[in-house]
Amino acid sequence: MPLFASLQAATEAPKGPFAINPGVSIWTLVIFLLLVVILAKTAWPAILKAVEEREKKIQEQLDRAEKANQEAQRVLAEHQQKLAAARNEAQELLAAGRQAAEKVREEIAARARAEHEELMDRARREIVAEREKAIAELRGEAVELSLAAASKVLERNLDSEADRRLVREYLDSLHNTST
Amino acid sequence: MQTPDIGRMILERTGDAHEIEIPFGDLLKIRPLQLPTGWIVNVGGTPIDLSPTRNVVFLLVAAFLVWLTLWLTGRALTRQREQGGGAAAPRGFANMVEAVVLFVRNDVAIASIGHKNGAKFAPYILTLFWFILYCNLLGLVPYGEKPTGSFWVTGALALTALLTIEISGFVTLGAKGYLKTIVFTPPGTTGITAVLLTLIMTPIEIIGKLVKPFALMLRLFANMAAGHFVMLSLLSLIFLFGNIAYFRWAIAGGSVVFVLFMMAIELLVAFIQAYVFALLTSTFIGLMQHEH
Repeated sequence: MPLFASLQAATEAPKGPFAINPGVSIWTLVIFLLLVVILAKTAWPAILKAVEEREKKIQEQLDRAEKANQEAQRVLAEHQQKLAAARNEAQELLAAGRQAAEKVREEIAARARAEHEELMDRARREIVAEREKAIAELRGEAVELSLAAASKVLERNLDSEADRRLVREYLDSLHNTST
Repeated sequence: MQTPDIGRMILERTGDAHEIEIPFGDLLKIRPLQLPTGWIVNVGGTPIDLSPTRNVVFLLVAAFLVWLTLWLTGRALTRQREQGGGAAAPRGFANMVEAVVLFVRNDVAIASIGHKNGAKFAPYILTLFWFILYCNLLGLVPYGEKPTGSFWVTGALALTALLTIEISGFVTLGAKGYLKTIVFTPPGTTGITAVLLTLIMTPIEIIGKLVKPFALMLRLFANMAAGHFVMLSLLSLIFLFGNIAYFRWAIAGGSVVFVLFMMAIELLVAFIQAYVFALLTSTFIGLMQHEH
């Protein structure tokens, strides 16, 4: 068709790109799908094969590196955990030792205090007993001495039981007033 | 000189026909090649005209050229690898084609669809890209025609995209997961609210599914047809002002310069639209793959 044939012969108005023509769609589908299949068979493998191989190799290496990294991370974490556990254990042992020592110290101190108290008590009791014994002895001696002195004064033997009682009563009264 | 009917001429030139012009046929007095007509097939009572048109012929030409380019590239790359002991870098034309193929495969298909399934869809996306690119470029060849300037062609390509998106979604998500992309209940709603929102959202989801390929179809068609319209309009200036003395030469010269400029832009658009179609198709496939 000459470029401007329509300029001379004006028939019915052309629809241009808006004409209805579903047949072209069917042709397009068939041609396109055939092209997809043919290219998949004849072109893409040759073009993409080397690329895909290269990509696969790189991916494998990356995967391996990633795996090694993960393993290293895991081992590191394990070691850190073990180290922390050991440190904890040491701390616990130290604390337990300190506690035991403290307990022993306190026990010893308590026992010493108790012994000391007991000694003091006994000493005090003995002193009191000795003093009372001494006073009683002194008192007996005083009776004898008084009686002897009195018999000398009276030139007579004041050896009767009644005399002794008299003096003892007197001394008792003395003792009672003195205490 | 009679006033030319520019609108009619443009519509005729951008439309389809059952004939192919022979280069310089006007000068050599060779009649255009007539294509067979009347291949009418009845599909469920609807007659469909399957007779080849100019667009069909150029679709075949584009498909053949795509195959030729990629087959030769594959052969050249294999030979270059063998020569280099499996480690040689590709060179020459094959290297350029390989770079484009790898760009579409890695930065369009795999980047949009995801590492897991991207490589599986790469051949489809690559074919789409190269086929659309060659169809677009054929429109810039003298006596050529761009089949992508017809929405019946772009519609069929968009239909393959729709089927790929939905079928791959069905395969990846399973029947239940796929149904969720149609019958959509907004999360966090219960009872009557959920029922109401589901009733509202489900038609919206279905429309969303159809709008995506529809937009693909329209974008490619409109871009390609618009280029034709602009170029023909600019060339028509020559005929509109053909009877102005002296100035008509300046107008003709200016018109040619403008058309040349438009052709440069069309060259750019041919690549951009092929890229956009491939990119959006892979993006939609990727969206469907990662739908939850």
